[in-house]
Amino acid sequence: MITVKIFGVARLRAGTGTFECDENDVKNVDELLNRIPNTTRKEARDLVLLVNGKPAGRRHRLEDGDEVVLLAPAGGG
Amino acid sequence: MATEYGGYMGKVLQINLTKQEVSEYPFTDEERRLFIGGKTMAAKILGDHLTGKEKAFSEENLLVITTGPMTGSGAPSSSRFNISTLSPQTGYITSSNCGGHFGYYLKKAGLDALILTGRCDRPTWIEINNEKVIFHDADGIWGMKTGETQAALDDKLRLKNGRVRKNGKICIGPAGENLVLYSCIVSNERVSGRGGTGAVMGWMRLKAVCASGNKEVQVHDKEKMVRHTQKWFRYLRKHPLTGSQLPKLGTAGLVSAMQMKHILSTKNYTYGQYDDFEKVSGEELAEKYNIVNKGCLTCPIRCARTVEVNGQQVKGPELETLVLLGGGILNNDLESIFKWNYELDELGLDTISCANTISYAMEANEKGLWDNGLKFSETEDLSKIFEDIAYRRGIGDELAQGSRRLSEKYGGKDFAIHAKGMELAAYEPRKAVGLGLGYATSNRGGCHLNGGYLVILEGLGLSMDQTTYHAKGDLTMLFQDLMEMISASGQCLFTSYAFFPTPLMNHPNAWYTKMVNRILPYTGPVVRIINKFPEIACFHLPVFHHTKGFEYTTGMKMTFGDYIRCGERGFNLEREVNRRFGVNANKDALPKRLTQTLQDPKDPDSKVPLEKLKKVYYHARGWDKDGLPAKRLLKKLKISEGADI
Ligand code: SF4
Repeated sequence: MITVKIFGVARLRAGTGTFECDENDVKNVDELLNRIPNTTRKEARDLVLLVNGKPAGRRHRLEDGDEVVLLAPAGGG
Repeated sequence: MATEYGGYMGKVLQINLTKQEVSEYPFTDEERRLFIGGKTMAAKILGDHLTGKEKAFSEENLLVITTGPMTGSGAPSSSRFNISTLSPQTGYITSSNCGGHFGYYLKKAGLDALILTGRCDRPTWIEINNEKVIFHDADGIWGMKTGETQAALDDKLRLKNGRVRKNGKICIGPAGENLVLYSCIVSNERVSGRGGTGAVMGWMRLKAVCASGNKEVQVHDKEKMVRHTQKWFRYLRKHPLTGSQLPKLGTAGLVSAMQMKHILSTKNYTYGQYDDFEKVSGEELAEKYNIVNKGCLTCPIRCARTVEVNGQQVKGPELETLVLLGGGILNNDLESIFKWNYELDELGLDTISCANTISYAMEANEKGLWDNGLKFSETEDLSKIFEDIAYRRGIGDELAQGSRRLSEKYGGKDFAIHAKGMELAAYEPRKAVGLGLGYATSNRGGCHLNGGYLVILEGLGLSMDQTTYHAKGDLTMLFQDLMEMISASGQCLFTSYAFFPTPLMNHPNAWYTKMVNRILPYTGPVVRIINKFPEIACFHLPVFHHTKGFEYTTGMKMTFGDYIRCGERGFNLEREVNRRFGVNANKDALPKRLTQTLQDPKDPDSKVPLEKLKKVYYHARGWDKDGLPAKRLLKKLKISEGADI
């Protein structure tokens, strides 16, 4: 199972902070971007991507147990 | 002293509290042109009086409350005012930029600034109405908390028809009255938080100042300013940071981004990540608790939250409070932070310094240096501890002195997280080393904003290499000067975030954003040229509306280069005054935890290379190796003409 966590304004748009995907359904990050609730693919492509805490590209292969984090750039505090 | 410039009321009042005498303080148009307003105007006034021998709690200190020409001009986020004084925490100048209504109403009263000197012989509050100053006995309100004080003052300003006269006010709570070194001044629900301005006001036995009147700010070119302001509002509303992230999540929205970038200070800055961060995040606050967004006057950003505490709607915590009273002390209970945030504001305590002092004390206890009963993640009694600090009872009397003094007494200087005696903000700088340089060189001590807020390039808005020292000295100078001038002009620093072009913020994975991130560490020489010769930037930037807004408001010429130069003048002026009080390169320091202990033992770069950064930074600033501005520079910046150096 792959755990997806969404933060920042992207989470408010998605209406959920976390969901899971079967590793057999999504081979890489690019495919995962189609599955974010209430979020178009174009919007999803503009989120910062981390896989297991490390920056990752869209072609990054996903495996069972991976944690994917998606967040929007932020600033101001 | 009337002025030819728009945006100013043309009058500064000096109030001698000892003699209860009021006089006009001369501030010329030449000085307005050079020292603008806000913190820079205040530094000019302080610099003309302070010699280096004065103490914060003495009749020789001044509490200088200034507005900027943009305050009350109708420009976005322009209700700001500033309070500067000699800080009891650091012994140097502190300046605190505050929202609320006071700045706007000080101008309605016909004043650009107030200079308070001396000490009342009994608790007093001051009413200013259309330049007229009335001293009132504060016996009835002395001892009250800040909310109660402001309600009582409104009652005193009730007109015959029962309505409250429209006014802006500042006041202190019990912490300021009892001289807690990090007590603040409160205005509505906004706070002039840092550096202990509240303690200076308490020492002066001044409980509050209320300002009101019916004067209007005259804008130089009203027609152009109205059109420009409309455009500026639209721009801020469309920008991803000022139009989306800050309104939707407030400053608290940064918690998760900080966690991902390892800059979320946790357990007294031992770590850069907190396992339970989601429970105390801006998203959690927004989704489950935020009742309504609030903002300062004329602000389209409206970054403040409203939450419920004991059945009452109150201001929600800012990022700093959320992090430092959350992961900072290993507390994952969001509702407890709402409650403490409210209590600290009511008592008049700076949440940042207070939280850091508590986390220092917890670690000192854990390490067996000081048996004080405080433990990480055991936080049930904190409300009582806060009261004890404000009323200087028991252990609270010790905690009232802040982490630097406690570490001098009990040991643990390595983990007393302050710079120049003022505790750091919530960003852990070992993975944002440019911000580390900013903390160390900030004139008021450990402040992220006065420090230049380079973290916005180091992992938040952009993703520049977080631990490289390349270009960060020059960029820190540029950002510090920019922030300095925004503050001096009377606007909120958060308007500066719209400086970052929208495409870079909206498309972090685009090739051009990645290229900018990669190029940034190599921009030092180019930024150095802009810093050294800002006059070459003799234009207005389309992403930076401040310069045109300033020109239309005041009638002064103000290109982007002029703007930077004014900021540089302000920053150097504060540095020069601080020099008289002993500031030098040795004082631009951080605790060893941040400069010698790796945040990540596997990453040899995960500490602040402070000496390397300082060397480049001093060179960029034109300071000598002792970190002091050269006489030539002060002359070039026209600081030395007025200041006694
Ligand atoms: S951005 Fe926030 S702090 Fe700044 S003026 Fe607006 S509401 Fe006030």
